[in-house]
Amino acid sequence: MPEPAIRVHNLVKLYARRRQPTIRAIDLLTFDVARGSIFGLLGPNGAGKTTLLRVLSTLARPTSGAASVLGHDVVASPLEVRRRISVVIQETAVELFLTVRDNLGTFARFHGLGDAGIRTRAERVLEDFGLASEAHRKVMDLSGGYRRRVQVAKVFMVDTPVVFLDEFSTGMDPVLKRSVMEKLRREAAAGRTIVLTTQILGEAEELCDDILILNRGRQAARGDLHTLKLLSQGVYDVTVTFDRLPPGIEDELAARGPIRLSITQSTVEVTLKEDDDGILAVVGALARRGRVLRLEVGGASLEDIFVELTKEGPRVGADTEDHHGGRA
Amino acid sequence: MSALSAVMYREGKIRATNALFIFWDVVYPLGYLLVFGVGMNKALGFSGLPTDYHAFFLAGVLGMAGFGIASNTAWSFFMDRDNGIFYEMLTYPISRAEYLLGKVLFNVAIGLVQAFITVLLARALLGVPLRPDRFPLLAAAVVVGTAGWFFFYAIFALAIRRNDAFNTVTSIFYFVFLFASSMFYPIDPLPVAFRAVALVNPITWHVDVMRFATIGLGDPRSVALEAAGFVAFTLVSFAGALLVLRREG
Repeated sequence: MPEPAIRVHNLVKLYARRRQPTIRAIDLLTFDVARGSIFGLLGPNGAGKTTLLRVLSTLARPTSGAASVLGHDVVASPLEVRRRISVVIQETAVELFLTVRDNLGTFARFHGLGDAGIRTRAERVLEDFGLASEAHRKVMDLSGGYRRRVQVAKVFMVDTPVVFLDEFSTGMDPVLKRSVMEKLRREAAAGRTIVLTTQILGEAEELCDDILILNRGRQAARGDLHTLKLLSQGVYDVTVTFDRLPPGIEDELAARGPIRLSITQSTVEVTLKEDDDGILAVVGALARRGRVLRLEVGGASLEDIFVELTKEGPRVGADTEDHHGGRA
Repeated sequence: MSALSAVMYREGKIRATNALFIFWDVVYPLGYLLVFGVGMNKALGFSGLPTDYHAFFLAGVLGMAGFGIASNTAWSFFMDRDNGIFYEMLTYPISRAEYLLGKVLFNVAIGLVQAFITVLLARALLGVPLRPDRFPLLAAAVVVGTAGWFFFYAIFALAIRRNDAFNTVTSIFYFVFLFASSMFYPIDPLPVAFRAVALVNPITWHVDVMRFATIGLGDPRSVALEAAGFVAFTLVSFAGALLVLRREG
Protein backbone atom coordinates (compact mmCIF):
# COMPACT_ATOMS: atom_id res chain seq x y z
CA MET A 1 0.00 0.00 0.00
CA PRO A 2 1.53 3.38 -0.97
CA GLU A 3 2.43 5.79 1.78
CA PRO A 4 -0.34 8.34 2.33
CA ALA A 5 0.16 11.89 1.08
CA ILE A 6 -0.48 13.27 4.54
CA ARG A 7 -0.17 11.59 7.88
CA VAL A 8 -1.31 13.23 11.11
CA HIS A 9 -0.83 11.51 14.44
CA ASN A 10 -2.08 12.72 17.83
CA LEU A 11 -1.65 16.30 16.69
CA VAL A 12 -2.23 19.03 19.26
CA LYS A 13 -1.99 22.78 18.73
CA LEU A 14 -2.52 25.08 21.67
CA TYR A 15 -2.75 28.85 21.56
CA ALA A 16 -1.79 30.42 24.86
CA ARG A 17 -3.39 33.79 25.53
CA ARG A 18 -2.49 36.33 28.14
CA ARG A 19 -4.87 36.17 31.14
CA GLN A 20 -7.27 33.97 29.19
CA PRO A 21 -7.70 30.23 28.99
CA THR A 22 -5.50 28.41 26.48
CA ILE A 23 -7.27 27.46 23.27
CA ARG A 24 -6.97 23.87 22.12
CA ALA A 25 -7.24 24.67 18.40
CA ILE A 26 -6.36 21.08 17.46
CA ASP A 27 -6.97 18.39 19.98
CA LEU A 28 -5.38 14.95 19.43
CA LEU A 29 -6.16 14.57 15.74
CA THR A 30 -5.11 11.44 13.89
CA PHE A 31 -5.82 10.77 10.22
CA ASP A 32 -4.23 9.95 6.87
CA VAL A 33 -4.97 11.42 3.44
CA ALA A 34 -4.58 9.11 0.47
CA ARG A 35 -2.53 10.22 -2.52
CA GLY A 36 -4.57 11.58 -5.40
CA SER A 37 -7.64 12.19 -3.28
CA ILE A 38 -9.65 15.34 -2.66
CA PHE A 39 -9.84 15.67 1.08
CA GLY A 40 -12.32 18.07 2.63
CA LEU A 41 -11.94 19.66 6.04
CA LEU A 42 -15.28 20.86 7.32
CA GLY A 43 -16.27 22.45 10.55
CA PRO A 44 -17.82 25.56 12.05
CA ASN A 45 -15.77 28.72 12.60
CA GLY A 46 -13.09 28.02 15.16
CA ALA A 47 -13.16 24.26 14.59
CA GLY A 48 -9.43 24.24 13.82
CA LYS A 49 -9.46 23.87 10.02
CA THR A 50 -7.20 26.80 9.26
CA THR A 51 -4.89 25.94 12.14
CA LEU A 52 -4.57 22.43 10.78
CA LEU A 53 -3.71 23.78 7.31
CA ARG A 54 -1.19 26.17 8.89
CA VAL A 55 0.51 23.25 10.62
CA LEU A 56 0.53 21.11 7.46
CA SER A 57 1.90 23.97 5.37
CA THR A 58 4.66 24.69 7.97
CA LEU A 59 3.23 28.07 8.98
CA ALA A 60 2.63 26.95 12.56
CA ARG A 61 4.45 24.43 14.73
CA PRO A 62 2.35 21.81 16.46
CA THR A 63 2.42 21.78 20.25
CA SER A 64 2.70 17.98 20.24
CA GLY A 65 2.09 15.01 18.00
CA ALA A 66 3.33 14.64 14.46
CA ALA A 67 2.34 15.54 10.93
CA SER A 68 4.06 14.71 7.68
CA VAL A 69 3.55 15.47 4.00
CA LEU A 70 4.74 12.80 1.57
CA GLY A 71 6.88 11.34 4.33
CA HIS A 72 8.49 14.63 5.40
CA ASP A 73 7.88 15.80 8.92
CA VAL A 74 6.52 19.36 9.07
CA VAL A 75 8.75 20.26 12.02
CA ALA A 76 11.95 18.36 11.19
CA SER A 77 11.97 19.02 7.42
CA PRO A 78 9.80 22.08 6.72
CA LEU A 79 11.67 22.99 3.53
CA GLU A 80 11.16 19.50 2.09
CA VAL A 81 7.46 19.85 2.86
CA ARG A 82 7.30 23.28 1.20
CA ARG A 83 8.96 21.86 -1.93
CA ARG A 84 5.98 19.55 -2.32
CA ILE A 85 3.07 21.86 -1.60
CA SER A 86 1.32 24.91 -2.95
CA VAL A 87 -1.09 26.81 -0.79
CA VAL A 88 -4.04 29.13 -1.24
CA ILE A 89 -4.35 30.80 2.15
CA GLN A 90 -7.68 32.08 3.43
CA GLU A 91 -6.76 35.75 3.04
CA THR A 92 -6.25 37.22 -0.41
CA ALA A 93 -2.53 36.98 -1.20
CA VAL A 94 -1.32 38.71 -4.35
CA GLU A 95 1.44 41.06 -5.46
CA LEU A 96 -0.63 44.21 -5.82
CA PHE A 97 1.98 46.21 -7.74
CA LEU A 98 2.69 43.49 -10.29
CA THR A 99 0.62 42.57 -13.33
CA VAL A 100 -1.49 39.42 -13.40
CA ARG A 101 1.09 37.74 -15.64
CA ASP A 102 3.96 38.73 -13.33
CA ASN A 103 2.04 37.37 -10.34
CA LEU A 104 1.89 33.99 -12.04
CA GLY A 105 5.53 34.25 -13.10
CA THR A 106 7.01 35.22 -9.73
CA PHE A 107 5.08 32.44 -8.01
CA ALA A 108 6.24 29.85 -10.56
CA ARG A 109 9.87 31.00 -10.22
CA PHE A 110 9.79 30.17 -6.52
CA HIS A 111 8.81 26.65 -7.52
CA GLY A 112 11.72 26.34 -9.92
CA LEU A 113 10.10 27.04 -13.30
CA GLY A 114 12.24 28.77 -15.92
CA ASP A 115 11.21 31.47 -18.39
CA ALA A 116 10.07 29.09 -21.13
CA GLY A 117 8.02 26.95 -18.75
CA ILE A 118 6.44 30.04 -17.23
CA ARG A 119 5.44 31.45 -20.61
CA THR A 120 3.77 28.24 -21.73
CA ARG A 121 2.01 27.61 -18.45
CA ALA A 122 0.91 31.21 -18.00
CA GLU A 123 -0.88 31.28 -21.36
CA ARG A 124 -2.91 28.22 -20.43
CA VAL A 125 -3.68 29.33 -16.88
CA LEU A 126 -4.64 32.86 -17.97
CA GLU A 127 -7.02 31.33 -20.49
CA ASP A 128 -8.46 28.79 -18.03
CA PHE A 129 -9.14 31.43 -15.41
CA GLY A 130 -10.57 34.03 -17.78
CA LEU A 131 -7.63 36.30 -17.03
CA ALA A 132 -6.14 36.63 -20.52
CA SER A 133 -7.64 40.05 -21.12
CA GLU A 134 -6.36 41.25 -17.72
CA ALA A 135 -2.87 39.77 -18.09
CA HIS A 136 -1.11 43.13 -18.34
CA ARG A 137 -3.15 44.92 -15.70
CA LYS A 138 -1.71 45.49 -12.26
CA VAL A 139 -3.54 43.45 -9.66
CA MET A 140 -4.12 46.56 -7.55
CA ASP A 141 -6.51 47.72 -10.30
CA LEU A 142 -8.61 44.53 -10.19
CA SER A 143 -11.69 43.77 -8.09
CA GLY A 144 -11.55 41.51 -5.04
CA GLY A 145 -13.03 38.60 -6.99
CA TYR A 146 -10.37 38.88 -9.69
CA ARG A 147 -7.62 39.11 -7.08
CA ARG A 148 -8.81 35.84 -5.57
CA ARG A 149 -8.92 34.38 -9.06
CA VAL A 150 -5.25 35.32 -9.58
CA GLN A 151 -4.36 33.81 -6.22
CA VAL A 152 -6.01 30.48 -7.01
CA ALA A 153 -4.68 30.49 -10.59
CA LYS A 154 -1.13 30.52 -9.22
CA VAL A 155 -1.33 26.97 -7.89
CA PHE A 156 -2.10 25.78 -11.41
CA MET A 157 1.22 27.19 -12.61
CA VAL A 158 3.10 24.43 -10.81
CA ASP A 159 2.87 20.67 -10.33
CA THR A 160 3.42 20.31 -6.60
CA PRO A 161 2.02 16.93 -5.59
CA VAL A 162 -0.03 18.40 -2.72
CA VAL A 163 -2.27 21.46 -2.84
CA PHE A 164 -3.87 23.13 0.17
CA LEU A 165 -6.87 25.36 -0.47
CA ASP A 166 -8.34 27.35 2.40
CA GLU A 167 -11.84 28.39 1.32
CA PHE A 168 -10.67 28.78 -2.27
CA SER A 169 -14.04 29.76 -3.72
CA THR A 170 -14.50 32.90 -1.60
CA GLY A 171 -15.44 35.75 -3.94
CA MET A 172 -15.63 33.56 -7.05
CA ASP A 173 -18.62 33.67 -9.35
CA PRO A 174 -20.53 30.37 -9.75
CA VAL A 175 -19.31 29.76 -13.31
CA LEU A 176 -15.63 30.11 -12.42
CA LYS A 177 -16.14 28.11 -9.23
CA ARG A 178 -17.57 25.24 -11.22
CA SER A 179 -14.70 25.40 -13.68
CA VAL A 180 -12.10 25.41 -10.85
CA MET A 181 -13.83 22.45 -9.23
CA GLU A 182 -13.62 20.60 -12.53
CA LYS A 183 -9.90 21.41 -12.76
CA LEU A 184 -9.36 20.17 -9.21
CA ARG A 185 -11.04 16.88 -10.10
CA ARG A 186 -8.74 16.53 -13.11
CA GLU A 187 -5.66 17.33 -11.02
CA ALA A 188 -6.67 14.71 -8.45
CA ALA A 189 -7.31 12.16 -11.18
CA ALA A 190 -3.77 12.86 -12.41
CA GLY A 191 -2.42 12.03 -8.95
CA ARG A 192 -2.32 15.38 -7.16
CA THR A 193 -3.61 15.40 -3.60
CA ILE A 194 -5.98 18.25 -2.84
CA VAL A 195 -6.79 19.28 0.72
CA LEU A 196 -9.45 21.93 1.05
CA THR A 197 -11.45 23.65 3.71
CA THR A 198 -14.84 25.07 2.92
CA GLN A 199 -17.91 26.44 4.59
CA ILE A 200 -19.96 25.66 1.49
CA LEU A 201 -21.07 22.13 2.13
CA GLY A 202 -22.44 21.60 -1.36
CA GLU A 203 -18.89 22.18 -2.61
CA ALA A 204 -17.51 19.45 -0.38
CA GLU A 205 -20.42 17.17 -1.22
CA GLU A 206 -19.67 17.52 -4.92
CA LEU A 207 -15.90 17.49 -4.78
CA CYS A 208 -14.48 15.50 -1.91
CA ASP A 209 -13.64 11.78 -1.88
CA ASP A 210 -12.96 11.93 1.79
CA ILE A 211 -14.30 14.31 4.43
CA LEU A 212 -13.17 15.10 7.95
CA ILE A 213 -15.61 17.07 10.05
CA LEU A 214 -13.88 18.95 12.83
CA ASN A 215 -15.49 20.40 15.89
CA ARG A 216 -13.56 22.13 18.67
CA GLY A 217 -10.32 20.83 17.21
CA ARG A 218 -11.45 17.22 17.34
CA GLN A 219 -12.66 14.77 14.77
CA ALA A 220 -16.46 14.78 14.78
CA ALA A 221 -16.78 12.42 11.82
CA ARG A 222 -14.69 11.03 9.00
CA GLY A 223 -15.37 9.19 5.77
CA ASP A 224 -16.69 9.56 2.26
CA LEU A 225 -20.08 11.11 1.70
CA HIS A 226 -21.84 7.75 1.79
CA THR A 227 -20.26 6.81 5.12
CA LEU A 228 -21.14 10.18 6.61
CA LYS A 229 -24.72 9.86 5.48
CA LEU A 230 -24.94 6.49 7.21
CA LEU A 231 -23.98 8.27 10.41
CA SER A 232 -27.16 10.20 10.24
CA GLN A 233 -29.61 7.42 9.55
CA GLY A 234 -32.95 8.56 10.81
CA VAL A 235 -32.30 12.18 9.86
CA TYR A 236 -34.84 13.47 7.36
CA ASP A 237 -35.34 16.68 5.42
CA VAL A 238 -39.01 17.59 5.09
CA THR A 239 -40.13 20.45 2.84
CA VAL A 240 -43.78 21.46 2.76
CA THR A 241 -45.27 24.33 0.79
CA PHE A 242 -48.77 25.37 1.93
CA ASP A 243 -51.10 27.65 0.05
CA ARG A 244 -51.09 29.74 3.25
CA LEU A 245 -48.80 29.24 6.24
CA PRO A 246 -50.78 27.65 9.10
CA PRO A 247 -50.63 29.73 12.30
CA GLY A 248 -48.43 28.41 15.12
CA ILE A 249 -46.65 25.88 12.94
CA GLU A 250 -43.22 27.22 13.79
CA ASP A 251 -43.75 26.66 17.52
CA GLU A 252 -45.16 23.22 16.89
CA LEU A 253 -42.15 22.13 14.88
CA ALA A 254 -39.69 23.83 17.22
CA ALA A 255 -41.15 21.73 20.05
CA ARG A 256 -39.94 18.60 18.25
CA GLY A 257 -36.31 19.76 18.60
CA PRO A 258 -35.41 19.93 14.91
CA ILE A 259 -31.83 19.95 13.69
CA ARG A 260 -32.74 22.76 11.35
CA LEU A 261 -35.92 24.74 10.83
CA SER A 262 -36.56 27.46 8.32
CA ILE A 263 -39.78 29.08 7.20
CA THR A 264 -39.87 31.22 4.08
CA GLN A 265 -43.25 32.71 3.18
CA SER A 266 -45.48 29.60 2.96
CA THR A 267 -42.70 26.99 2.76
CA VAL A 268 -41.50 25.09 5.79
CA GLU A 269 -38.14 23.29 5.68
CA VAL A 270 -37.34 21.15 8.65
CA THR A 271 -34.67 18.56 9.41
CA LEU A 272 -35.62 16.06 12.07
CA LYS A 273 -34.11 13.00 13.66
CA GLU A 274 -36.97 10.48 13.83
CA ASP A 275 -37.57 6.81 13.17
CA ASP A 276 -39.63 5.79 10.12
CA ASP A 277 -42.96 5.83 11.97
CA GLY A 278 -42.14 9.12 13.61
CA ILE A 279 -41.36 10.90 10.34
CA LEU A 280 -44.54 9.57 8.76
CA ALA A 281 -46.49 10.88 11.74
CA VAL A 282 -44.87 14.33 11.35
CA VAL A 283 -45.61 14.42 7.63
CA GLY A 284 -49.23 13.34 8.28
CA ALA A 285 -49.63 16.01 10.96
CA LEU A 286 -48.21 18.69 8.65
CA ALA A 287 -50.48 17.62 5.81
CA ARG A 288 -53.51 18.06 8.07
CA ARG A 289 -52.58 21.63 9.00
CA GLY A 290 -53.47 23.20 5.67
CA ARG A 291 -53.71 22.82 1.96
CA VAL A 292 -50.38 21.36 0.79
CA LEU A 293 -49.07 22.48 -2.60
CA ARG A 294 -45.80 20.55 -2.47
CA LEU A 295 -44.34 17.95 -0.13
CA GLU A 296 -40.86 16.46 -0.20
CA VAL A 297 -39.24 14.01 2.21
CA GLY A 298 -35.60 13.08 1.72
CA GLY A 299 -32.54 11.71 3.47
CA ALA A 300 -30.12 14.02 5.22
CA SER A 301 -27.80 16.27 3.26
CA LEU A 302 -24.20 16.88 4.26
CA GLU A 303 -25.37 20.13 5.77
CA ASP A 304 -27.79 18.27 8.06
CA ILE A 305 -25.04 15.91 9.15
CA PHE A 306 -22.72 18.84 9.71
CA VAL A 307 -25.27 20.66 11.87
CA GLU A 308 -26.07 17.48 13.80
CA LEU A 309 -22.40 16.76 14.51
CA THR A 310 -21.38 20.28 15.40
CA LYS A 311 -24.48 21.67 17.06
CA GLU A 312 -22.75 22.20 20.42
CA GLY A 313 -21.42 25.35 18.78
CA PRO A 314 -17.93 26.62 18.30
CA ARG A 315 -15.73 28.28 20.88
CA VAL A 316 -15.72 31.97 20.36
CA GLY A 317 -12.33 33.38 19.41
CA ALA A 318 -10.54 30.32 18.08
CA ASP A 319 -10.83 31.28 14.43
CA THR A 320 -9.70 34.79 15.19
CA GLU A 321 -6.49 33.30 16.52
CA ASP A 322 -6.13 31.27 13.33
CA HIS A 323 -6.67 34.33 11.23
CA HIS A 324 -4.00 36.37 12.82
CA GLY A 325 -1.56 33.56 13.17
CA GLY A 326 -1.73 33.44 16.96
CA ARG A 327 1.27 31.94 18.63
CA ALA A 328 1.58 28.98 20.90
CA MET B 1 16.24 29.33 -10.56
CA SER B 2 17.50 29.12 -7.00
CA ALA B 3 15.34 30.21 -4.09
CA LEU B 4 17.62 33.16 -3.39
CA SER B 5 17.46 34.46 -6.94
CA ALA B 6 13.67 33.97 -6.98
CA VAL B 7 13.36 36.27 -3.96
CA MET B 8 15.76 38.78 -5.56
CA TYR B 9 13.81 38.62 -8.82
CA ARG B 10 10.59 39.34 -6.97
CA GLU B 11 12.09 42.31 -5.11
CA GLY B 12 13.51 43.65 -8.35
CA LYS B 13 10.18 43.28 -10.13
CA ILE B 14 8.37 45.17 -7.42
CA ARG B 15 10.96 47.94 -7.23
CA ALA B 16 11.03 48.24 -11.02
CA THR B 17 7.33 49.15 -11.01
CA ASN B 18 8.35 52.56 -9.71
CA ALA B 19 11.32 53.96 -11.64
CA LEU B 20 11.19 57.24 -9.72
CA PHE B 21 11.74 55.32 -6.49
CA ILE B 22 14.89 53.69 -7.84
CA PHE B 23 16.11 56.97 -9.33
CA TRP B 24 15.64 58.72 -6.00
CA ASP B 25 17.42 55.92 -4.13
CA VAL B 26 20.37 56.21 -6.47
CA VAL B 27 20.78 59.99 -6.55
CA TYR B 28 19.56 61.27 -3.20
CA PRO B 29 22.86 60.78 -1.33
CA LEU B 30 24.53 62.90 -3.96
CA GLY B 31 21.87 65.56 -3.57
CA TYR B 32 22.32 65.45 0.19
CA LEU B 33 26.06 65.83 -0.20
CA LEU B 34 25.71 68.74 -2.59
CA VAL B 35 23.08 70.61 -0.62
CA PHE B 36 23.89 69.82 2.99
CA GLY B 37 27.62 69.07 2.68
CA VAL B 38 28.52 72.09 0.60
CA GLY B 39 26.19 74.33 2.62
CA MET B 40 27.74 73.27 5.92
CA ASN B 41 31.21 73.62 4.48
CA LYS B 42 30.56 77.18 3.35
CA ALA B 43 28.53 78.27 6.35
CA LEU B 44 30.44 76.72 9.25
CA GLY B 45 33.76 75.64 7.79
CA PHE B 46 34.41 73.09 10.55
CA SER B 47 37.89 74.24 11.41
CA GLY B 48 40.02 71.48 12.86
CA LEU B 49 39.02 68.90 10.28
CA PRO B 50 41.92 67.50 8.28
CA THR B 51 39.82 67.90 5.13
CA ASP B 52 36.88 69.82 3.62
CA TYR B 53 33.56 69.19 5.29
CA HIS B 54 32.00 67.72 2.14
CA ALA B 55 34.92 65.25 1.88
CA PHE B 56 34.41 64.36 5.55
CA PHE B 57 30.65 64.10 5.06
CA LEU B 58 30.88 61.80 2.00
CA ALA B 59 31.11 58.67 4.20
CA GLY B 60 28.28 60.00 6.38
CA VAL B 61 26.07 60.39 3.33
CA LEU B 62 26.87 56.87 2.17
CA GLY B 63 26.12 55.51 5.64
CA MET B 64 22.85 57.43 5.78
CA ALA B 65 21.86 56.11 2.35
CA GLY B 66 22.48 52.50 3.37
CA PHE B 67 20.55 53.11 6.58
CA GLY B 68 17.64 54.53 4.55
CA ILE B 69 17.56 51.65 2.06
CA ALA B 70 17.63 49.19 4.95
CA SER B 71 14.72 50.80 6.76
CA ASN B 72 12.66 51.03 3.52
CA THR B 73 13.34 47.38 2.74
CA ALA B 74 12.30 46.33 6.24
CA TRP B 75 9.16 48.46 5.95
CA SER B 76 8.19 46.42 2.89
CA PHE B 77 7.34 43.55 5.26
CA PHE B 78 4.29 45.62 6.19
CA MET B 79 3.36 45.98 2.53
CA ASP B 80 3.74 42.22 2.09
CA ARG B 81 1.53 41.63 5.11
CA ASP B 82 -1.11 44.02 3.77
CA ASN B 83 -1.07 42.24 0.40
CA GLY B 84 -1.41 38.90 2.20
CA ILE B 85 1.60 37.70 0.26
CA PHE B 86 3.82 37.54 3.35
CA TYR B 87 2.21 34.39 4.75
CA GLU B 88 1.86 32.82 1.32
CA MET B 89 5.59 33.38 0.74
CA LEU B 90 6.31 31.54 3.97
CA THR B 91 4.81 28.45 2.31
CA TYR B 92 7.11 28.74 -0.73
CA PRO B 93 10.06 26.36 -1.06
CA ILE B 94 12.56 28.78 0.43
CA SER B 95 14.28 28.76 3.78
CA ARG B 96 13.68 31.68 6.13
CA ALA B 97 17.34 32.68 5.77
CA GLU B 98 17.00 32.76 1.97
CA TYR B 99 13.92 34.91 2.32
CA LEU B 100 15.81 37.49 4.39
CA LEU B 101 18.95 37.40 2.26
CA GLY B 102 17.08 37.54 -1.05
CA LYS B 103 15.06 40.49 0.18
CA VAL B 104 18.16 42.52 1.00
CA LEU B 105 20.43 41.45 -1.88
CA PHE B 106 18.57 43.37 -4.57
CA ASN B 107 18.68 46.45 -2.37
CA VAL B 108 22.36 45.91 -1.69
CA ALA B 109 22.87 46.05 -5.44
CA ILE B 110 20.99 49.39 -5.50
CA GLY B 111 23.23 50.53 -2.62
CA LEU B 112 26.36 49.70 -4.60
CA VAL B 113 25.17 51.64 -7.65
CA GLN B 114 24.21 54.52 -5.38
CA ALA B 115 27.65 54.52 -3.71
CA PHE B 116 29.46 54.30 -7.04
CA ILE B 117 27.58 57.28 -8.50
CA THR B 118 27.91 59.34 -5.33
CA VAL B 119 31.65 58.74 -4.99
CA LEU B 120 32.29 59.35 -8.66
CA LEU B 121 30.38 62.65 -8.74
CA ALA B 122 31.77 63.76 -5.37
CA ARG B 123 35.19 63.53 -7.00
CA ALA B 124 34.07 65.18 -10.26
CA LEU B 125 31.92 67.98 -8.82
CA LEU B 126 33.48 68.67 -5.44
CA GLY B 127 37.04 67.45 -5.96
CA VAL B 128 36.86 65.11 -2.97
CA PRO B 129 40.25 63.36 -2.67
CA LEU B 130 39.56 59.63 -2.93
CA ARG B 131 41.53 56.44 -2.25
CA PRO B 132 40.67 54.17 -5.22
CA ASP B 133 42.89 51.41 -3.77
CA ARG B 134 40.38 51.10 -0.92
CA PHE B 135 37.27 50.88 -3.10
CA PRO B 136 36.96 47.10 -2.53
CA LEU B 137 36.75 47.88 1.18
CA LEU B 138 34.14 50.55 0.43
CA ALA B 139 32.08 48.07 -1.59
CA ALA B 140 32.28 45.56 1.26
CA ALA B 141 31.22 48.25 3.73
CA VAL B 142 28.22 49.17 1.57
CA VAL B 143 27.16 45.52 1.24
CA VAL B 144 27.60 44.58 4.90
CA GLY B 145 26.27 47.94 6.08
CA THR B 146 23.03 47.79 4.10
CA ALA B 147 22.49 44.14 5.04
CA GLY B 148 23.31 44.73 8.71
CA TRP B 149 20.90 47.60 9.11
CA PHE B 150 18.22 45.73 7.16
CA PHE B 151 18.49 42.72 9.49
CA PHE B 152 18.39 45.04 12.48
CA TYR B 153 15.27 46.81 11.22
CA ALA B 154 13.70 43.51 10.14
CA ILE B 155 13.64 42.37 13.79
CA PHE B 156 11.31 45.25 14.58
CA ALA B 157 9.33 45.14 11.33
CA LEU B 158 8.57 41.46 11.89
CA ALA B 159 7.89 41.71 15.61
CA ILE B 160 5.76 44.86 15.47
CA ARG B 161 2.34 44.32 13.93
CA ARG B 162 1.41 47.99 13.45
CA ASN B 163 2.83 50.06 10.65
CA ASP B 164 2.52 53.30 12.63
CA ALA B 165 4.35 51.79 15.61
CA PHE B 166 7.18 50.74 13.31
CA ASN B 167 7.35 54.25 11.87
CA THR B 168 7.75 55.64 15.38
CA VAL B 169 10.55 53.17 16.06
CA THR B 170 12.37 54.15 12.86
CA SER B 171 12.03 57.84 13.72
CA ILE B 172 13.62 57.19 17.09
CA PHE B 173 16.39 55.16 15.49
CA TYR B 174 17.06 57.89 12.92
CA PHE B 175 17.36 60.43 15.69
CA VAL B 176 19.49 58.35 18.06
CA PHE B 177 21.69 56.46 15.64
CA LEU B 178 22.36 59.23 13.15
CA PHE B 179 23.02 62.14 15.48
CA ALA B 180 24.89 60.24 18.20
CA SER B 181 27.50 59.12 15.71
CA SER B 182 30.36 60.31 13.54
CA MET B 183 28.03 60.72 10.57
CA PHE B 184 27.72 64.52 10.58
CA TYR B 185 30.69 65.59 12.72
CA PRO B 186 33.86 64.20 14.30
CA ILE B 187 33.11 62.79 17.75
CA ASP B 188 36.37 63.81 19.48
CA PRO B 189 35.20 67.31 20.50
CA LEU B 190 31.84 66.02 21.83
CA PRO B 191 30.95 65.94 25.58
CA VAL B 192 32.07 62.71 27.27
CA ALA B 193 28.62 61.10 27.60
CA PHE B 194 27.68 61.96 24.04
CA ARG B 195 30.99 60.60 22.83
CA ALA B 196 30.57 57.38 24.80
CA VAL B 197 27.21 56.77 23.12
CA ALA B 198 28.69 57.53 19.69
CA LEU B 199 31.57 55.12 20.27
CA VAL B 200 29.23 52.17 20.88
CA ASN B 201 26.90 53.16 18.05
CA PRO B 202 27.22 50.76 15.09
CA ILE B 203 26.59 53.71 12.73
CA THR B 204 29.86 55.20 13.92
CA TRP B 205 31.68 51.93 13.17
CA HIS B 206 30.06 51.73 9.75
CA VAL B 207 30.73 55.36 8.80
CA ASP B 208 34.31 55.27 10.13
CA VAL B 209 35.08 52.26 7.92
CA MET B 210 33.61 54.05 4.91
CA ARG B 211 35.53 57.25 5.73
CA PHE B 212 38.72 55.21 5.86
CA ALA B 213 37.78 53.57 2.54
CA THR B 214 36.87 56.80 0.73
CA ILE B 215 39.24 59.54 1.88
CA GLY B 216 41.68 57.50 3.96
CA LEU B 217 40.81 59.20 7.26
CA GLY B 218 41.23 57.11 10.44
CA ASP B 219 43.63 54.89 12.29
CA PRO B 220 43.82 51.48 10.54
CA ARG B 221 43.80 49.52 13.81
CA SER B 222 40.77 51.19 15.30
CA VAL B 223 38.99 51.03 11.92
CA ALA B 224 39.71 47.27 11.77
CA LEU B 225 38.22 46.91 15.23
CA GLU B 226 35.15 48.89 14.21
CA ALA B 227 34.78 46.78 11.05
CA ALA B 228 34.89 43.60 13.13
CA GLY B 229 32.33 45.12 15.51
CA PHE B 230 30.00 45.92 12.64
CA VAL B 231 30.29 42.43 11.16
CA ALA B 232 29.40 41.01 14.59
CA PHE B 233 26.45 43.44 14.79
CA THR B 234 25.29 42.24 11.35
CA LEU B 235 25.52 38.57 12.31
CA VAL B 236 23.67 39.10 15.59
CA SER B 237 20.97 41.13 13.79
CA PHE B 238 20.63 38.40 11.16
CA ALA B 239 20.20 35.77 13.87
CA GLY B 240 17.62 37.98 15.60
CA ALA B 241 15.65 38.60 12.40
CA LEU B 242 15.72 34.89 11.57
CA LEU B 243 14.42 34.04 15.03
CA VAL B 244 11.52 36.48 14.75
CA LEU B 245 10.72 35.36 11.19
CA ARG B 246 10.65 31.71 12.28
CA ARG B 247 8.14 32.65 14.96
CA GLU B 248 5.92 34.04 12.19
CA GLY B 249 5.71 30.64 10.56
